[in-house]
Amino acid sequence: MNLKNALLVMLAVLLCVGFAVAQEKLTKEQWQQEVSKYTGMVDDLKAKVKTLNDQITSLQSQSSKLDGDYDKCMDELYALVGSDKDKAAAYRAEIETAENKANELMRLSDADLMARSSEVTDLATNVKGLWGDKLSLIPEFWDRLTALNDKVKSLQTTIAGAGKTYTVGTWKRDRDCLWNISKKKDIYNDPWKWPKIWQGNRDQIKDPDIIHTGQKLKIPTAGEMTKEEKSAARSYYSKKAAK
Amino acid sequence: MNRKVSIFAATLLFSSSMLLVSCSSSPDEAQMKQLNDLKDEHTALQKEQSSKEQQKAALDKEVAEKNAKLKKCNDDKQVVQQRLGK
Repeated sequence: MNLKNALLVMLAVLLCVGFAVAQEKLTKEQWQQEVSKYTGMVDDLKAKVKTLNDQITSLQSQSSKLDGDYDKCMDELYALVGSDKDKAAAYRAEIETAENKANELMRLSDADLMARSSEVTDLATNVKGLWGDKLSLIPEFWDRLTALNDKVKSLQTTIAGAGKTYTVGTWKRDRDCLWNISKKKDIYNDPWKWPKIWQGNRDQIKDPDIIHTGQKLKIPTAGEMTKEEKSAARSYYSKKAAK
Repeated sequence: MNRKVSIFAATLLFSSSMLLVSCSSSPDEAQMKQLNDLKDEHTALQKEQSSKEQQKAALDKEVAEKNAKLKKCNDDKQVVQQRLGK
């Protein structure tokens, strides 16, 4: 390579480097554009943040005012029934205790419930007493006491049903058979529920077609027939059909 | 002669390329710092905006809940007054 060519190559390289350096660095004009762009965006964001701050301050003040208004409203509500916040808290705790008791009793089997029937009576008295307080007029308490009442009634019904017995009369006079007993209004008012009586008295009824005068039958709680009762009925009817 | 022309041309090209590089004016350090500071401020403000928007949303929810509670209390007062009137 002669000197001329070598110089040309060197110059070409220098030119390329020069252009590359010039490309990487911002020109003043580009810098000015960037500064203007970012200044605009920063100003815009500052304005948005300021608006947000104003809205937050306003919301915080609204929130505090609402706290005050709510406390005042609750005081007025309690005053309407001649009570106050502390008495209401104590009353709420009493209801909660009664609710826990009712739930505990609801979980018991019929036999266990029978054994603890005095607790149901106490609970009923307690609930009655709670209704006697004017605080019960407040919807929060009213609704909870109504639900509690329903539970107490259900417990009482279960106890009443669980303890029920029926003494078999004579066929001639009373036409007593399981079908007819089940049909009685004060029993199930439904003859098809006779298997309930049979299954509730398996210890003394081997054949449901045979019951004896003077037999004291336990009457299980009314309600839908259980799986076992339905199965016993099916078995009875299929045996009957096979005869 | 030919060699002299070549050297002259090369020198001319070299000089003009140097002139091109040096003549393209670029911002100084202070100006670059100003731009970088602006970019940093922009990023910080974006974060602040996002945080404030979240704070505002939470407060909006809180205020709505308190309004609902207050409304219920006022409704309850009316119900109690009706029950007392019975």
